[in-house]
Amino acid sequence: MNLLSLGSAQRRLFAIHEAAAATSRAPRAAVLCYPWGAEYTYAHRSMRQLALKLALSGCHTLRFDYFGTGDSGGDESDADVAGCESDVEAAMEALTDIAGTPQVTLIGLRAGANIAAAVAARHASIVEALVLWDPIVPELRSLPGALPRRTAMFVTDRTESRDRLVELGFAGGTRPATIEFVPTQSPWLESATMTGVLPVSVIQRVIEWLR
Amino acid sequence: MAAVVTKFTEQAILLGPRRTLVGVIARPRVAPDPALPAVVILNTGIVHRVGHNRMYVTLSRMLAAAGRVTVRFDQSGLGDSGPRNDRLAPLAAGLADIKEALDSVEKTYQVSRFVLIGLCSGADQCVLYGHTDPRVVGLVIMDPTIPPTRRYYVHYIVRRLSHVQNWISVLTGRSGLMRMVSAQLLHRLRPAEKSRPATLQDLQFSPYLGKSYAASAALGMKLLAAFTALSPRHAYARQILDAFPEVSSGGTLQLQYFPDSDHLFSAAHDRARLYRVIIDWLAVHWAADGRRTNA
Repeated sequence: MNLLSLGSAQRRLFAIHEAAAATSRAPRAAVLCYPWGAEYTYAHRSMRQLALKLALSGCHTLRFDYFGTGDSGGDESDADVAGCESDVEAAMEALTDIAGTPQVTLIGLRAGANIAAAVAARHASIVEALVLWDPIVPELRSLPGALPRRTAMFVTDRTESRDRLVELGFAGGTRPATIEFVPTQSPWLESATMTGVLPVSVIQRVIEWLR
Repeated sequence: MAAVVTKFTEQAILLGPRRTLVGVIARPRVAPDPALPAVVILNTGIVHRVGHNRMYVTLSRMLAAAGRVTVRFDQSGLGDSGPRNDRLAPLAAGLADIKEALDSVEKTYQVSRFVLIGLCSGADQCVLYGHTDPRVVGLVIMDPTIPPTRRYYVHYIVRRLSHVQNWISVLTGRSGLMRMVSAQLLHRLRPAEKSRPATLQDLQFSPYLGKSYAASAALGMKLLAAFTALSPRHAYARQILDAFPEVSSGGTLQLQYFPDSDHLFSAAHDRARLYRVIIDWLAVHWAADGRRTNA
């Protein structure tokens, strides 16, 4: 685990890099994008576990706090969507330097998935794969470009059907190649910190899908 | 914000002998008097060092801007910190983590006294640890565990009498009150040596908690106790005084009540008031003046 400070003096970002374990494959790299607000607080454990398991599978991971959130600089009032997207770009640049890989995977949870999707749509040549974990589906309609060919969406809450999710988020646009329901405790809810249960099945599924 | 930023620096650090405890230290740009106690903020439950509503980030930056070295860190197995490599039980491990973090901060940043801050389980750890370490001179405890008193039970019962669901719970044996009374009786029947807390969960009725408060008072430890109206752990502002009369001896206790706040200080105005209370309380006991330039 390497504690890093990314960005500029005016926009300092706290980040943690987990080095890829040696495997028979070439190392890969993934930037993890946190949710916002209370969901960030409750999902932190799960995102850390995802980062650790990905690293064990041979993938460098970088997770970081957007400006105005978590341990990064700035006030909460400084955080906005455009700024978060530029922070993801800064994290991608840092991780490609650290890992020595030309491309990265973006993995986002909740609002982090939406931010990752917007960045991926703008940087098709750098983002080799995109994982949307419980995204805010209706907000995916207004992406600035097409989703990467390798995009998966994992959903822990089965309230809406697959067809309805497609209709809500991707009508008229590109849809994820993979849409899967993985029923388990949603890690971004307060109950996640009350029970301490981790969404192991989603973490395993993400790692399998990325192999 | 820019004006505040120029008053402190912030750095991620690794604490403990194995450098496995992840923390963030905020320091004033103008170095404080080294005799001033550093402030150390503990985890709330299993939430990482940022705290609910980012409250510990804001608080630590305000304290650093006011001239105080402030550290918030994750205890082992929480947040970004790795697990311990011994077989200590969770509570003992948490207390050992505090000692190791204080050792690291003392050694690296040349401070010799500390004030601990904690909410909920963090507050309980403050109380259990503080009196065991002579470097700890003050505690800020928010919604700590307080045993139920007679008046608590009166409040509890009156509050629930009006709800039909509570009557159903009593009749079906699922009453929280009945469970609480049973647990209290059980602990009273246990031999004293077995009533030391193995976990934070059974702390409520343990004599160990009372002994810790008494020991803190006997040492003259400064204590700021803040209570919220919606805490599940107590029912009225002065419950701590009824449960532990000795904590008010020597005039070292300041009691602060937040009548409109929930347990996590979710409202921004409640957090703002909490920050002000803590900053003022620190200033009363350890004025942050006589600064010298930071190296």
